[in-house]
Amino acid sequence: MNRHSLMGHLALASPLVLLMCFLVYPVADVLGQGLFSGTGTSFYDVVVSPVTQRTFTFTVIQAALSTALAVLLGLPGAFLIVRLRFRGKSVIRAAMIIPFVLPPIVVVVGFLQMFGAFGILDSLMMAITGSPVSVINLAAGLPGIVLAHAFYNIPLVVLMVSASLERLNPEVEESAELLGASHFQNLRRIVLPHIIPSLLASAVLTYLFCFTSFPIVLALGQGSYMTLEARIWYAFRYFDYGEASSLALIQILVTLSLAYSYVRLGRMRQQGIAPTSNAKQVGLRDLNRVQVVLILAYLALLAFLVAGPIAAVVRSSIYDPLTRSYSLAGFENLLSAGTGGGLVPLVNSAFYATMSTLFAVALGIPLAFAHRGSKNPAASLASIMALLPLGVSAITLAYGLMRAIVVPLGLSSNPWPVIIVAQTIIGLPFSARSIEIALRSIDPALLDQADLLGASRLQKLFFVELPLLAPGILVGAAFAFAMAIGEMSATLFIALPQNVTLAVAIYQNLGVRKFVEAGAGALVLVVTCLVAFLTIDRMTSGSSGGTL
Amino acid sequence: MSAGQYPTRRDPRRVIMGLAVIVTVTVAAYTVWVWPRGPANKLIVYTYDSFMAWGDDPLTIDSRVFGPFMQQYDVEIEIVRLQTDANGVIARLITELERPVADVVIGIDNVLILQEPSQSVLEPYTPSNINLVNDSLIASLDPEHYVTPFDFGLVSLIYSMAKINATTHPEVANLTFSNLGTTEMASSLVTEDPHLSSTGLAFLLTEIAVYEKLLGQDWRQWWSQVHGYVDVLPGWTDVWQVWSTEATKWFLVSYGTDPAYSYYSTNSTPDAAVAPVYNAGSHYAWMQVEGIGLVKNGPNPTLAKAFIDYCLTSSVQSYVALNQWMFPVNNEVTLPTAYSYALQAEDVNILNALLPRSEIAANLTLWLDEWDIIFSS
Repeated sequence: MNRHSLMGHLALASPLVLLMCFLVYPVADVLGQGLFSGTGTSFYDVVVSPVTQRTFTFTVIQAALSTALAVLLGLPGAFLIVRLRFRGKSVIRAAMIIPFVLPPIVVVVGFLQMFGAFGILDSLMMAITGSPVSVINLAAGLPGIVLAHAFYNIPLVVLMVSASLERLNPEVEESAELLGASHFQNLRRIVLPHIIPSLLASAVLTYLFCFTSFPIVLALGQGSYMTLEARIWYAFRYFDYGEASSLALIQILVTLSLAYSYVRLGRMRQQGIAPTSNAKQVGLRDLNRVQVVLILAYLALLAFLVAGPIAAVVRSSIYDPLTRSYSLAGFENLLSAGTGGGLVPLVNSAFYATMSTLFAVALGIPLAFAHRGSKNPAASLASIMALLPLGVSAITLAYGLMRAIVVPLGLSSNPWPVIIVAQTIIGLPFSARSIEIALRSIDPALLDQADLLGASRLQKLFFVELPLLAPGILVGAAFAFAMAIGEMSATLFIALPQNVTLAVAIYQNLGVRKFVEAGAGALVLVVTCLVAFLTIDRMTSGSSGGTL
Repeated sequence: MSAGQYPTRRDPRRVIMGLAVIVTVTVAAYTVWVWPRGPANKLIVYTYDSFMAWGDDPLTIDSRVFGPFMQQYDVEIEIVRLQTDANGVIARLITELERPVADVVIGIDNVLILQEPSQSVLEPYTPSNINLVNDSLIASLDPEHYVTPFDFGLVSLIYSMAKINATTHPEVANLTFSNLGTTEMASSLVTEDPHLSSTGLAFLLTEIAVYEKLLGQDWRQWWSQVHGYVDVLPGWTDVWQVWSTEATKWFLVSYGTDPAYSYYSTNSTPDAAVAPVYNAGSHYAWMQVEGIGLVKNGPNPTLAKAFIDYCLTSSVQSYVALNQWMFPVNNEVTLPTAYSYALQAEDVNILNALLPRSEIAANLTLWLDEWDIIFSS
């Protein structure tokens, strides 16, 4: 084995080794202890319990419904983002990420104000129908949960699919049109096959995201609806490690089988790739009236679902419901450095999220390369490992990291490196998946040309592959950043007061009735992500322009 | 394409090096910034996030309350408010069982201490000044002295007087569970999930005590009746948030000191009132007693014991009422005037007497499972 291929293998193996140390080992440690030490409920009793079965059924169904809704509402958005030329597109694209970074409690409050009884939608319906009582409450029960999950995941579908659509060579479609293909045929034979990998990937991510969702389910489910993740949380609280581990194991098994079928499906779909290019775009003026009306209707729907709760957040940063007045106290608090001030959480959040995004991308790139092309088991392993973090409950991971890493290494009084580890792991599925999708759309001919021109491996990576991967890296980094900065469950368990992040601080401020402080924190979270996303966008669009 | 159109290429190795340098510098700067300061040997107290967080100046509360002890013993005390509740504090202590960091833990209540894992991380200790604390509180919390009472509160239904009052709904003066069982009333109630919140659990125990012990009926009946109407949210924060912003939510499950807090913070007649559960001529409430305990194998046991003793003296206990909004356990401490609006232990019959500790310990998991079955149907 020559030095280069050794380096290559090491680079490809490093993410797997790290995942073994920081994901598999800690989680296996907790599960082993829970399942075999005989504390709490046994695996058999957990499986046969009617509560588990009902929870499992509900978990599967709500995740399927949420995924369907997110894909249905997200797909048109992806096309609009890529195909339509309009002003402020990069801002809109960046704004799409916002739902992902909002802590669940903020989403719940926004949802109640928008869709709840006597909320904005309900008030509108009451005015229309002239009814004195509440007409519609979409923020409770199954509809509330599914809507909230769609709110979270539409951005995922839009951004992942649009990143892949951008790489569809317009010449292919133009040739098809010249040959007499209708719009529909074009869509079915050319566009759909091209976006299927990204569509599948975003659907799988959405499904797993909803499958393991729990703060939303707890808050909107009114105690009646539970996911497996929620029950794991319950079990940990009552120190029933047997039940917690059994449920976590079931969750992991479901995730693994989903990840496996996804990988299999991906292999079957693999096919010839059209030459790499940029998508063609049309202006609003080039469209006919029906198309414009349809687009406006879709945008209105999206604005209502996505922008509504966000508007509620913005308002809450300056409006105090206790004194019924407007105030800037929340923003003043964010700049105060002392205990209880917002500056420490702000710095923590920015630092942890930036570091974990860097790591998630740095690990995501080799994971994506390991997955590519070759049919060896290592590729499948890489792909499955990249999805595994989504199926491991955050609390199980946090518990495992505490037991297996923090305490043995004596990090108990200074555990911040492990928070970064946890946030990296949680963001990894998103970065790895979107980079892998982007990698698939690279035309191998380009790489052959680079080889012929005498580029070294590193040069090829830096000057050809990475610039072409830029949209995928951008989306992956944005989601990894969003996942990290909005993460609460694992951070809450590991963090000491000096490690508090903005998401945690928001939750605490709500707890002590500091509403404007909480609102201002949420707004800063939103703005930070927006700025981060726009910056990455600017940087990557510059570099990919140089290659094409 | 002319050669001039190609962008200039940077050496990839330089880019990697540059990035590595930036990352290293940032990490180093952050490491220095958060490096634990102060003397290596300090007394570490684990507690939940909102400990003493409700006073006029929560930022300086620790130095005011514990400053005299630090001077007397020439030691630094660090009150570590973990971002969780008491169950989460115990969970952390369990993970640290092999290498304990904390010396003392505050906030373990009379239900949590019944669970074996709580006892497994604590060392029984009877403070030398235990006579400052009423015997009934010790009996309610822990006769085995794994934890010593620190404060206590009464969990009750609270209603917003702006939304509902004795004129519109006369039944609030003597509210029974069956009053609360109507569709109108049940839909206006928001409570905490008993799995996730000690307040929610206290309400579940209230209901069980009233139905099983006072009425002699199956406790599951009332929950089956209100299921689908009553709003159950994860924790006190969420419940309070929804209750204070939603016009349709009149009642919440909270503490009997809420009206006192309202009076104190707004300096006017409270906008919230207490509606303790009523049955056959008397009012009832569940009492939550929170305790302080010695961490097993903690680094500084002698100092930790002195600290627990200190916490029972009026130097600490006199701060409890207005900062913790719970009652102090030291019966020599005078209560502030705002507490005339609080529900007092003398005003109600304490339900804890009806549900012995052993009965709760034996049935808690079963009750929660049955509650789940009702709520998942």
